[in-house]
Amino acid sequence: MEKTAFTDKVALVTGSSRGIGRAIALALARAGADVAVNHSKEGGTSQAKADEVCREIESFGRKAFPVQADIASKESVKAMFEAASNRYGRLDFLILNAARAPFKPLEKLREKEIRQLVDTNYIGNIFCIQAAVPMLESSGGKIVFVSSLGSRFYNPSYPLGSMKAAMESVVRDCAESLLPKGIWVNAVCGGIVKTDSFKVLRLYMEEIEHIPDNLCVTPEEIAETVVFLCGPGARAIRGQTIVVDNGLSNRLYRPAWIKGQDSK
Amino acid sequence: MKQTVIPEEKVIEEVRRAIWEGLDIDPARVKAESSLVGELGAESLDFLDINYRLEQTFGIKTARHSVLEHMEEMFGEESAIDADGKLTEGAVKVLRLRFNNSSQLKPGMDMEELPGAVTVQSIADGIISILDSLPENCTNCGKQDWKIEKESRIQCGSCGEPAAFTNGDELIDEWLTQVQQSEKIF
Repeated sequence: MEKTAFTDKVALVTGSSRGIGRAIALALARAGADVAVNHSKEGGTSQAKADEVCREIESFGRKAFPVQADIASKESVKAMFEAASNRYGRLDFLILNAARAPFKPLEKLREKEIRQLVDTNYIGNIFCIQAAVPMLESSGGKIVFVSSLGSRFYNPSYPLGSMKAAMESVVRDCAESLLPKGIWVNAVCGGIVKTDSFKVLRLYMEEIEHIPDNLCVTPEEIAETVVFLCGPGARAIRGQTIVVDNGLSNRLYRPAWIKGQDSK
Repeated sequence: MKQTVIPEEKVIEEVRRAIWEGLDIDPARVKAESSLVGELGAESLDFLDINYRLEQTFGIKTARHSVLEHMEEMFGEESAIDADGKLTEGAVKVLRLRFNNSSQLKPGMDMEELPGAVTVQSIADGIISILDSLPENCTNCGKQDWKIEKESRIQCGSCGEPAAFTNGDELIDEWLTQVQQSEKIF
């Protein structure tokens, strides 16, 4: 097999049993890396799907293994990185993709839901960064956080947006604080991606279904940018959030699709 | 009104299909009484996927908000779920009426355990209640000539207009209003 900048390197992608995380795990493996495929629950569909992602990675000649961990739990995160370390002995890329959030307006969130929102989408990511630093330091590794346009624009019933904004700030912070350890930190901010989570969003934003496909992005397009940020070509990019949205956020002009008519 | 354009067996078959395709499992595992979480391994995103498939299959709009959320909207905050996320007595009474007196439901139960009570049949019941909101006549041309299009979509045989069903949220509100009038739970 041809040697690449990713050959013999190891990635851990949180929440990679489906959607964007799955596309990232597959893209990193295609680029040459071995991958730890994290899923949150044991026994359910996410475990079955994580196993499938691993088989797909193995089918193109790379190594992969599924690792269950709820990132909101520090113990669970610790065990996940120990498992990755025992398995591959190194870590080069940490991709923070996992997210979980209710879809309702902030004022309707119960205390428990607010705490879970912060536990998974902010604290959980920081647990992962903390646990990964020693391994990333020895490899001169990269951290890429997967954000969304909700970090900077309003979406109805999308409290996750404020957590994405907080994490983009964490990315800027860690890009400098981890620089002496040789760890690069960046983020990719995805536009509208028609994955499973999109099926939730459409319940609250009827108009979203009428956004033409040419203004949406695919999980693979986001994944390719993640791979780029992990590669040598991104060596001068640090602390940045790269927007990958097919130009959606660049448009002040909103054509007829907002009223539900197809603009194609 | 009970609609008869799509037979109930067909509805249940389509619900089973949405579930086995959504969960990517052996169709033989999906029985009417199967619990989606406990027996079939469904997780929260899977419910949305199944829901999406069913909306596309039948051309309907399922409820965006749960019965509990509707209760809180109608009868006030913490009428259905207390500050700790536990079901109130009123909520349990209402849910038992809705889900055939399911003995799993008890006051003090954590709201996060509720998806555990969802079965293939309870999803089918929800879909059937939406399909039963089929108006007698076409809302566009006024004719009474419903036909099945693409196996599971009801449309007017005269003008081709898709049937206008009541959406799931409106049906829950109507049902809750009736329950409150007869049972005076809140």
